[in-house]
Amino acid sequence: MTTTIHIPTLETERLILRGPQASDLDALAAFLASDRAGFVGGPLGEAESWRTLMRIGGQWVLRGYGMWIIEHRETAQPAGWAGILHYHEWPEPELAYSLFGGFEGQGIAYEAVAAARDGAARLFGITRPISMILPDNTRSIRLAQRLGAVLEGPGQVMDLKVDMWRHQAPEASA
Amino acid sequence: MIPVLETDRLILRAPKAEDFDRFAAFFGSDRARYVGGPITREQAWRALAAELGHWHLRGYGRWALEEKETGAFCGIIGLWYPEGWPEPEIGWELMDGFEGRGFATEAAIAARTYAYDVVKLPTLISLILHENIGSARLAERLGATLEGEFTHQRLGLMQVWRHLGPEAVQ
Repeated sequence: MTTTIHIPTLETERLILRGPQASDLDALAAFLASDRAGFVGGPLGEAESWRTLMRIGGQWVLRGYGMWIIEHRETAQPAGWAGILHYHEWPEPELAYSLFGGFEGQGIAYEAVAAARDGAARLFGITRPISMILPDNTRSIRLAQRLGAVLEGPGQVMDLKVDMWRHQAPEASA
Repeated sequence: MIPVLETDRLILRAPKAEDFDRFAAFFGSDRARYVGGPITREQAWRALAAELGHWHLRGYGRWALEEKETGAFCGIIGLWYPEGWPEPEIGWELMDGFEGRGFATEAAIAARTYAYDVVKLPTLISLILHENIGSARLAERLGATLEGEFTHQRLGLMQVWRHLGPEAVQ
């Protein structure tokens, strides 16, 4: 029996959340090569960025849920990622997100991550995911707070000391 | 979409979560020293995800081999062309305990046929580390010829083997 890699698409007013594509490489590599990527394990080169894209795509098959690439409708450019990241050593499914350079300050991250959180609840039954955030990543913490997430305590992933934020079920935070 | 291929003794199908333990055992072992290993279980999980993601991004990729007789997952083989590769290759790895039975040759021929007939690739290489004698022998058995060298950023200096072309394997 053939295997189909199905990645659902979410739409918001300004954004489309979709599966990764080969054409996302340049935008992703630019982001992962920048200082902005320090909070997510970067900076990384082109080949490593491609591996990241492959993992994002492949996790959908292994877990049945995953991360979307955020596409900005107006410019048709990849603006970041949002969705459920769940690598092997993750303690539980994580609502993960990053915004690429040039898309800050427009509420795009909030719009995307809220859609991803609601989508994860509706489509996969993941209702109260964590977000693992480095304590000095103030932008990310502010976004988690705006989304209604609550600081649960310290955690660790990939040798990094992180704070565990717990999102609320979509109804509760609406 | 990841198709299923069949050979005399093998099924080539999409890798799946159930393959992970054996996949991680191989990639965590010394046998994986020629293919970027040994790596941790955590890294192996990402690598398995990457196998599937390659299909999603390129429309082709590597299959998991399943031995028909036992249903056992016994290898990863197929088409591989990530960023940083000079051109598409046939890559193969047999899991522990499945070497020496011609499984890799059998599956590589099926993958090569698929590459030419379905994906319409014009040519194929295999990148092989110099010390990986077993893999070079397999390339020879498939009719490939040693063409030159390529230095990969992470994996280092490798031999470039050129496979028989579409016309030669008709």
